[in-house]
Amino acid sequence: MSTFFYLFRELLGAVRTKSALSFGLTGGLFFLFLASVGAFFVIGPSTESPAEDSASRPVEELRAYLSPRLSSASVDKLFLELREREDVAAIEYHFAQEVDPTMTGGVLFIRPVSPAASADLSTHLRSMNGMTDVVEIRTTEIEAASVLPTSARIGLLLALLVTLGLSFFFARRGYRALLHSFASEIRLMRLSGISDRVIVPLLAGLGVLIGCLAGVFLLVVLYLLHYFVVAQATPPAAMEGLRSAGRVLGVSLGTLFLGVVLGGLIGLFGANVLASREFDPLP
Amino acid sequence: MSIMIQVSELHFSSEDGIKVLEDVHLHVEQGEWVYLLGPASSGKSLLLGLLGAHIPPQRGQILVYGRNVVRLGPGKMLELRRRIGFLPQGFLPMARTVQENLQFKLRMMGNYREQAEEKTMLALEATGLIRQQGVDAQELSSLDRIRLGLALAICDDPLLLLVDEPFEGLDGEEKEEVSALIERLHTGHLTIVTATRGPLPAAVHPHRVITLLDGSVREP
Repeated sequence: MSTFFYLFRELLGAVRTKSALSFGLTGGLFFLFLASVGAFFVIGPSTESPAEDSASRPVEELRAYLSPRLSSASVDKLFLELREREDVAAIEYHFAQEVDPTMTGGVLFIRPVSPAASADLSTHLRSMNGMTDVVEIRTTEIEAASVLPTSARIGLLLALLVTLGLSFFFARRGYRALLHSFASEIRLMRLSGISDRVIVPLLAGLGVLIGCLAGVFLLVVLYLLHYFVVAQATPPAAMEGLRSAGRVLGVSLGTLFLGVVLGGLIGLFGANVLASREFDPLP
Repeated sequence: MSIMIQVSELHFSSEDGIKVLEDVHLHVEQGEWVYLLGPASSGKSLLLGLLGAHIPPQRGQILVYGRNVVRLGPGKMLELRRRIGFLPQGFLPMARTVQENLQFKLRMMGNYREQAEEKTMLALEATGLIRQQGVDAQELSSLDRIRLGLALAICDDPLLLLVDEPFEGLDGEEKEEVSALIERLHTGHLTIVTATRGPLPAAVHPHRVITLLDGSVREP
């Protein structure tokens, strides 16, 4: 066993009730922090929904393909007519080759004032002379995923700040208590010429362990929720995002990585306690 | 004989400007055993701290084992400390058994488990702590604590042993036992500097006795 792992085991052996309690709270808060981060990505509709589900996504844009036989005057007339409609928020003319090089003629990119207005507008476009096709462009995956209400977003942001602040607070308390019960060892280490560059990574390692455990726990919770949602015929709308295995995997690994990084930072923050005179090797 | 410690023109003042050491000159050969005598607050612990590369010098030169402490970078300073065994004043052992105290020190110094076990036994034998090896170190008597402190200081084969006030809190007989123990540890290459308020136990036979008075070193 290398010196690092030997010392790390000894450091863990110095954990007493007070420090264990503080580290437990830190881990719990870390879990809540990571869960809040994850919630931003998993709450909302699934990105890997079946075809019938994608059809239910809101329409973002309509593309009306114009016959190449239309004269420029007819195109202008159609354009102006559509622009005047109340359910049209914006309209642009493009050459069809811009969309598909094999096509000819023009295409109108029409943004409805709201997704609800798109159905009527689409029907109207299909009934117009000179239209060869009307394609409904639905919201992209990223946009679909971010249908979290503003109040929920604010709540999650507050939860992020509070849990992060509290986890730093309890981590510092934990490190103070732990290092107090490891003080004789640190004094001997310093007396014997062991650098703080050996001691600090031990403390960072403990933070990484806490962050990693919180991340792994969240991973387990996310997968349990994923299997629960998959098994349900009609899961709650807010949990739709958990249906996507790819998204759950991405969020799990991302939060695990974040947990490890933040755990290391918390360890370095806790190592500040070493500056206390309590750890001076000579009286 | 080669030089282990060479101190010249060493000055040191406290934070409030009081001169603690003034123009100290000291020369200790390798393998010598020196007693540094002096009243309380005469700067003995400070001098040991400076020799042990724990306190950076303010003015003057300190050479320990050929290294100029004044010019050593942090890395080299730590390297030097690893070659010095130090028993500080008022030593408190770790809350582990006697054996675990020694094994912790040896393992953290990079010794493998088997190597650490071997060196632990040697140190326990040398200091007469074999029978107490399984005892919680914080329950040891004052005398045995000093024994353990010395065992910790010598277990990884240092070149220099610095001992600060080993007789503190001991009765006459115990002082003589500690003194005899240090004499036993003084084998071959090991250089020992022991600082104490004095008077020295009757059975002490050091090579040299140096007095630190009014910030200066005096030899009879």
